[in-house]
Amino acid sequence: MKRILYLSLLCSPLFAADPVEADFYKITTFETPKETALEVGSIDLMPDGKLALGTRRGEIWVVSGAGSDDTSNVSYKLFASGMHEVLGIAYNPKDKNLYATTRYEITRLIDTDHDGRADVFENVNDSWGVSGDYHEYAIGSRFDKAGDLWVTLCLTGSFSSAVPFRGWALRIKPNGTMVPTCSGIRSPGGIGFDADGEVYYCDNQGPWHGACTLQHLVPGTFQGHPGGNVWYDLAPNMGPRPIDPIPEAFQGDKGRKDKREGGDPDRMVTERERIKQLLPPAVYLVHGKIGNSASAIICDLSEGKFGPFSKQLFVADQSHSNLSRVYLETVNGIKQGVVIPFRSGFASGIIGGRMDEEGRVFVGGSDRGWGARGGKPFCFEKCEWTGKTPFEVHEMHAKPDGFEVTFTQPVDPASAGDLKSYSMREFTYAYREQYGGDEVSEILPKITAATVAADGKSVRLTISPVTKGHIHELHLDGVRSAEKLPLLHKVGYYTLNEIPAK
Amino acid sequence: MTRLLFAILLAAASAPGAEPAVFSLKTMTAQMKYDTAEMLVQPGQPVKITFENGDDLPHNLVFCQPGTDTAAMAMKQMEKPEEALKRNWLPDDSRIWAHSKMLNPHEKEVLSFSAPEKPGNYPYVCTFPGHALTMRGVLKVAPVGDTLHDLQFALYLGNWQQLPDFSKLKPHREGKIDDNLLQVKLDDYKNEFGVVFTGKLIAPKKGPYRFFLSSDDGSRLLIDGKEIILYDGIHPAGDIKEQGLTLDKGEHEFRLEYFQGGGQIELYAAWKGSDFQITPLSKWLHPKWQGGTKKQKEFDPIPLVVKDEAVIYRNFIQGAGNRGIGVGYPGGVNIAWSAESMNLALIWRGAFMDASKHWNSRGGGHEKPLGYDALMPTGEVTPAFFVTDKPEAEWPKWDKAKRYEGFHWLGYSLDAKRSPTFRYSWQGAEIEESFAVEGDGNKPEGNAKLIRTIKVAGKVPADAWYRIGSGSFESKDGSFFSKGQIPYRITVSDAQLAGQNLVVPAKRGTMTITYQWAQ
Repeated sequence: MKRILYLSLLCSPLFAADPVEADFYKITTFETPKETALEVGSIDLMPDGKLALGTRRGEIWVVSGAGSDDTSNVSYKLFASGMHEVLGIAYNPKDKNLYATTRYEITRLIDTDHDGRADVFENVNDSWGVSGDYHEYAIGSRFDKAGDLWVTLCLTGSFSSAVPFRGWALRIKPNGTMVPTCSGIRSPGGIGFDADGEVYYCDNQGPWHGACTLQHLVPGTFQGHPGGNVWYDLAPNMGPRPIDPIPEAFQGDKGRKDKREGGDPDRMVTERERIKQLLPPAVYLVHGKIGNSASAIICDLSEGKFGPFSKQLFVADQSHSNLSRVYLETVNGIKQGVVIPFRSGFASGIIGGRMDEEGRVFVGGSDRGWGARGGKPFCFEKCEWTGKTPFEVHEMHAKPDGFEVTFTQPVDPASAGDLKSYSMREFTYAYREQYGGDEVSEILPKITAATVAADGKSVRLTISPVTKGHIHELHLDGVRSAEKLPLLHKVGYYTLNEIPAK
Repeated sequence: MTRLLFAILLAAASAPGAEPAVFSLKTMTAQMKYDTAEMLVQPGQPVKITFENGDDLPHNLVFCQPGTDTAAMAMKQMEKPEEALKRNWLPDDSRIWAHSKMLNPHEKEVLSFSAPEKPGNYPYVCTFPGHALTMRGVLKVAPVGDTLHDLQFALYLGNWQQLPDFSKLKPHREGKIDDNLLQVKLDDYKNEFGVVFTGKLIAPKKGPYRFFLSSDDGSRLLIDGKEIILYDGIHPAGDIKEQGLTLDKGEHEFRLEYFQGGGQIELYAAWKGSDFQITPLSKWLHPKWQGGTKKQKEFDPIPLVVKDEAVIYRNFIQGAGNRGIGVGYPGGVNIAWSAESMNLALIWRGAFMDASKHWNSRGGGHEKPLGYDALMPTGEVTPAFFVTDKPEAEWPKWDKAKRYEGFHWLGYSLDAKRSPTFRYSWQGAEIEESFAVEGDGNKPEGNAKLIRTIKVAGKVPADAWYRIGSGSFESKDGSFFSKGQIPYRITVSDAQLAGQNLVVPAKRGTMTITYQWAQ
């Protein structure tokens, strides 16, 4: 053991020339107004290259010049203050107003005298309850393709819902009416859209969640935490209340929160059979490896200006202060896909994020309350592509007997065709009421074939077995590019909700 | 083996100060902190800690060797998260010498161990990812110091407001205190007496020392004839006064003068040296001393300063429900409006709000007004409008599961000075409310007034009442005087008292209500 340690210490300088994240994506930290702590909670784009930032301290700042390469061009104007946490900000191009999602209300802010400060604060919708518990955050979206705003409501604490619609996703129509849309939410951290305008949110590790997750908000679905299901009576459009996961009979003499010898038996994949409204998470953002506290969802619609990952999603983390990359596909009508580390090293825990048309990702956040890497109490930063293409897994597609992995650059056929270049581990989490949970039911499958495509841009892996409901952790340590470079990130975690027929 | 164990037990029992140190340590809800920042124990002392996770995240309690960079230690785990996960985020680090399990929310564990033999500051920390920067404290291991020698007392009788010159008085009774701990030995005298304690204190070496004193009523502490701490007058034992002093090695003359007027009798004194911990010299221990723990301090205040524009603060404000809107007006008068009840909840004068509770950590809890003389004209804030043929009836109270029926919150607009006009609807009526300030609320004699203007348009139902106040009021000179704890008056036309309710018939038009503190 000791010798191996020495060896790796000696070897590490040899890899010093290996590419690093910063070679491909650079982070710029903005100075922020001295008179405030700019704890960014939400970001949206405004006309003329301006940005709107909503903060945890209830302020809305309009930022000019953040797109410029010269950070001295950045200026800030306080548009509104005194709001109860702005964890959603949306610019409406139709009426040219900002809409803020706050603790208990979606507010339209109007600057009637055009002095750059809001003077009318209209309640658009406030039809959800607040009990006074700190945990009852409200995370709001931008406008979706129908012109609706979405709001995801944290439960009262981790387990239950004290007032209406805690633990739900609601839609607010342009006329201000509210439509209960999904149940089963625990502790949302961010909400966003994919390239088709489908809506997703991130939930956080806790009861019924072994890890943070990226979840597809399909209207009418139950997203997994039954704490808020007491409000189905108030949502007739949602149909009957789902049956609860782990019925009493299944628990025997144990309560839901009791520890069980031999581990908790319940699984998302088996409960899907029983609970017809239950939609499994599209992607598990594996706890401790991808992040601990998933937040903003950012889609790359820049058509190449942010590099080779057009239409993919970037998920931020408030604890690891990083961005991870998600490629999604639809199998048997359900979203699933892979998450791959992307860029770490932001200055504080990221909460809000948005990409502009030029492929600049603006992020901001704070470390307050849960702690974060980076060391700064709050931040507002920009992440841009340097123009160099990293050697990365591009996409990962489920196949009946394995996966197809595509790459951003042609591979070296010898290493990519060598079975020893790969390893795979499959696991899942118990679907249970206790907080979090271990990676359980581990399977170490055999990789039986690795076939490199003629163009060198993809590899077909045959895996035995593939396991429905498991996370498939693929390591590609030995794969080299045609230029003999290793992958920038050598691991991906694919959540296999469904195994395709072909 | 058994014999050895007995021997150890006997040795422990006979060693001075071998009583177990018992602590209760909790994680604070939503604050990423332990409630205890410091625990003080003696070398080798048995320690029992009841560790309770009151938060809704997992936390542990990990004790390390002095000098450990606990944040770096916790962070290092992230290099190999798979292994760290398997260890439930307990670092594999030889500097850890005691730890709890990783407690789930609302779990509890009792830890028992012996304190290290080596004096020093032993840090403790939560090693769950991201927690170590703020979730930490110090277990201080230090021996106790020496107590007094040859302690004598002299009891004097007299009725004083301050310490008398005892040298001019004749003692009523004198004696020796066998256990050498300061204490008030009572005979028949429970009020109106004084005691002078004299004894010897032995400094183990030349160096800095610190003395602590608290009493009910007055006292002073003298070393070698020189006054070190004076805590004179009639008062409860609220504060612990302290003072540092350099002493030469060896024997020093100790003198403590104390007097009792009436009521409670308390006396606490202690000292501390560079190599021994705070050591009580009295039998009674002050509650703030807490057996050697130091509780976590609250946050530094973040006062929201009102200058020449009104300042709005929407958050959890104590007394204004969960949809509170605080407004601080120039002129030192402030209100909190409830967007749940569509009504004025609170009025106060002086400073506006302290945001530190909400702008630190996760921001839980309701904050009270920062100023003074807070009025709640209707007590618990409920909607002002109510249809009833009995205006003395109880107005509907808040039901957390539903909203007040017929009320719709519309929002507010700001005027040029950023003063809001609140808008809401009730049944067929549209209501606007705005506020103006006269006088100076920052001074008690500033004649401060709040003038509230309510405009009602649209259709008002029959038998509708508007409640302005609830409680005990007296009608005099066209105003209504509140007989509550903080005297103030409400001036409004056409108002009447109906039982506990101060009401006006609700109708269209404009109504002005003036609230004024009695001087």
